[in-house]
Amino acid sequence: MASWLVTVDHKRIGILYLATAGLFFLLAGVLALLIRIQLARPDQSVLTGDSYNEVVTMHGTAMVFFVVVPILAGLGNFLVPLQIGARDMAFPRLNAFSYWLFAAGGIVFALSFFAQGGAARTGWTAYPPLSVLSPGNGQDLWILSLHLLTVSSLAGAINFIVTIHNMRTAGMSWMRMPLFVWAIEVYAWLLLLVLPALSAGLTLLLLERRFPGTFHFFVPEDGGSPVLYQHVFWFFGHPEVYIMILPAMGIISEILPVFSRKPAFGYKAIALSTVAIGCFSMIVWAHHMFTVGLSNYLNAWFMVVSMVIAVPTGMKIFNWLATLWRGNLSLDTPMWFAIGFLSIFTVGGLSGIYLAAFPIDWQVHDTYFVVAHFHYVLFGGSLFAIIGGLFYWWPKMFGRFLSERLGKLTFALLFVGFNVTFFPQHMLGLLGMPRRIYTYSEGGLWQAYNMVSTVGSFLMGVGVLVFMLAIARSRTGRRAGNDPWLGDTLEWYTTSPPPPHNFDTVPYVTSARPLSDLRRSLKERSAL
Amino acid sequence: MTPPVRPRLLLIIGVLAALLALAGAAAAGNGGFGPTSPASPNAEGIATSFWFVTALVLGVFLLVESLLVVFVVRFRRRKRPRDADGPQIHGSNRLELAWTAGPVLILFAIAVFVFAKLPGIIDSPDATASGGPLRIEVVGHQFYWQFRYPNGVIAIDRMRAPAGRPVVLDVTAPDWDVNHSWWIPRLGGKIDAIPGRMNTTWFRANEPGFYEGRCAELCGAFHAKMLTGVEVLPQADFDEWLTTAFSAQHQADPALGRELWEGVCAKCHGLAAEGGYGPTLAAATLTNRDALETVIRNGRALPGRNVMPSVGRDWTAAQLQSLYAYLEAEFGSQG
Repeated sequence: MASWLVTVDHKRIGILYLATAGLFFLLAGVLALLIRIQLARPDQSVLTGDSYNEVVTMHGTAMVFFVVVPILAGLGNFLVPLQIGARDMAFPRLNAFSYWLFAAGGIVFALSFFAQGGAARTGWTAYPPLSVLSPGNGQDLWILSLHLLTVSSLAGAINFIVTIHNMRTAGMSWMRMPLFVWAIEVYAWLLLLVLPALSAGLTLLLLERRFPGTFHFFVPEDGGSPVLYQHVFWFFGHPEVYIMILPAMGIISEILPVFSRKPAFGYKAIALSTVAIGCFSMIVWAHHMFTVGLSNYLNAWFMVVSMVIAVPTGMKIFNWLATLWRGNLSLDTPMWFAIGFLSIFTVGGLSGIYLAAFPIDWQVHDTYFVVAHFHYVLFGGSLFAIIGGLFYWWPKMFGRFLSERLGKLTFALLFVGFNVTFFPQHMLGLLGMPRRIYTYSEGGLWQAYNMVSTVGSFLMGVGVLVFMLAIARSRTGRRAGNDPWLGDTLEWYTTSPPPPHNFDTVPYVTSARPLSDLRRSLKERSAL
Repeated sequence: MTPPVRPRLLLIIGVLAALLALAGAAAAGNGGFGPTSPASPNAEGIATSFWFVTALVLGVFLLVESLLVVFVVRFRRRKRPRDADGPQIHGSNRLELAWTAGPVLILFAIAVFVFAKLPGIIDSPDATASGGPLRIEVVGHQFYWQFRYPNGVIAIDRMRAPAGRPVVLDVTAPDWDVNHSWWIPRLGGKIDAIPGRMNTTWFRANEPGFYEGRCAELCGAFHAKMLTGVEVLPQADFDEWLTTAFSAQHQADPALGRELWEGVCAKCHGLAAEGGYGPTLAAATLTNRDALETVIRNGRALPGRNVMPSVGRDWTAAQLQSLYAYLEAEFGSQG
């Protein structure tokens, strides 16, 4: 047990990341259910305005910073060295440092519920002047926890980049790298480029909060500009969306070919579209600010570049579909989650077009339409891919399968529950329901859609419980061999779980699918 | 080892069918599948753009989802061995080109349509016949909206406007307040009320009626209670209201006092001052003009978590007098 506390093994650090982020997923999930209970019917008073704002803020912040990003960091940690045939990350101790900073940030974050005045309650975006004027210490602890997290992620990002650039095994050129590694490469560069903007913005916020009258960044009474913060925040915040979705797309690009028994259709197109999305994601930030009254020329620019991102994204979707075409589809749990990802992410991508067209955004901005949109991208997108990825790599991590039966039940509950929860929220937004309101008095369709949404959220809750049951049972699950899914990439070459040094030998890599090559040559040799 | 696929497919198809049925039922009355019935030219422009995007997006949605379902059904493993490889196709430049060009064309069409609609959405029409647009200043406060008409008349939370005449709104928030967002869904898109910044939007309500709206930017504990609305009156009725209010508001006006009490004070302290989020207010407090002015102008930081914002730092003397008059009539006799 104690060896886990001092470990510098990338596989164990990866698993620590996953476990810690899993706890935060449960916490944030409970907060989400509280939101849905409060909104199930009009004029409920389960939560007050203040406590509702705390719950909303902590749910959003936890899901973004303490669940999705660290889970991806965990999967990246476990997989990148294995997939590129390396023994470990480039800087193993820096890697452990990243994890423990993340854990420290998480503890500060979780304990901030007990701060004087309660937890932060100004939304995960923490817009000033509200976040400057908000009393108590919750907001300060929120800033501290994110400061710790950004340092952790920056160190992690550097580690990923150095590892991928320098430690690929013999023969693995850029165009032979697994698509998941491509995604982690872009994820790491984005973190490196935009996290400093968040750190700077939060530092200014903290200074203005703690030294009122001394610093004048964001509050107009002292000569500051509230809009400046929004620019800084979204310069980080929009790429953050892609930080959360690109590695998820990488997971999909790994699962689909293996379970279709085909190579990824358009490998180069998928890899390069990942890079293109990463680049474009840094010049679209103000599409989150269409209602602040920027010049319409600026709005038009941000609309056009936001739409441009849809092109490489669409390319990915069509390449994935083409990967399925004429395949031999094994519909195991990872594949179901990948298919679910495709169907749900498409909706999230398409609803984004409404938000990019700024006059339409003026109508739907900051409403439940937006809430539905980003849950289609982040839950139905990122988290579906992540859960699929966990079912896929669990045998490699622990040497045992997660139950297929429970896995498919998890998928069915989450897929149905997800759509029942979030699809009606599009309609709520168009009916005029803003996000972040703690109650409403309207009956009729408002009440009906809200109730449907709440019912769906509890279905998802049951789905998560079934998933936890599957995890608990996996201790005695079916044993997996080295390569239970007939994978394409190097992690399947070593034992399950891999030894501390990962590989005794690594085969020379001659394509993006070294294991598939190996199987073919073995078959040819035995045929001789 | 692979369980049969059909039951799950049936389940998914069943759910989709149920959703479609629900959608159909709800669509009978629009049901939230598009912007709520627009009642102003800018809202109409937005709604038209919305439906144009929907037509194209729905096509892409149906294409992708049906390909997905067809491929999953058609190419599932059935009796083939797990390790039977599919055809080793690595890609196709022609297809890549096609699904790059297709979306580009669709997005181009959307951009062209939206830009063509844009002037009708952002430019308020001239209203020479009715003597130019009416300009109203809209100021978002924690947690109420204050409207000021060109002749100085003040209204809280409920805006009155003439039908058929363009109304231009100058939207802002006081320097010491927080961000809000002005939104009347049927009268156009939203525009943020940001301290230190003046934004402009407009509407021209076609028909008299009441158009509801709310604050759309998180502004604190009572964000959800920052309801507002525009009462659109025939021009003659509107003119009459404006002149009456103008003469009433020259001195203490209990009607304005009542609006202030209900819109500004009662959301936290209760309609009968019985307390709620804010403390119970004794009649003696409510009739002590000096103490009241201090609190209204400066707000109050209470130990613990509640802070009373300086709700009335920018109020005119007449506003304060109106509130006093209302409070004394309402609570004075008890004290």
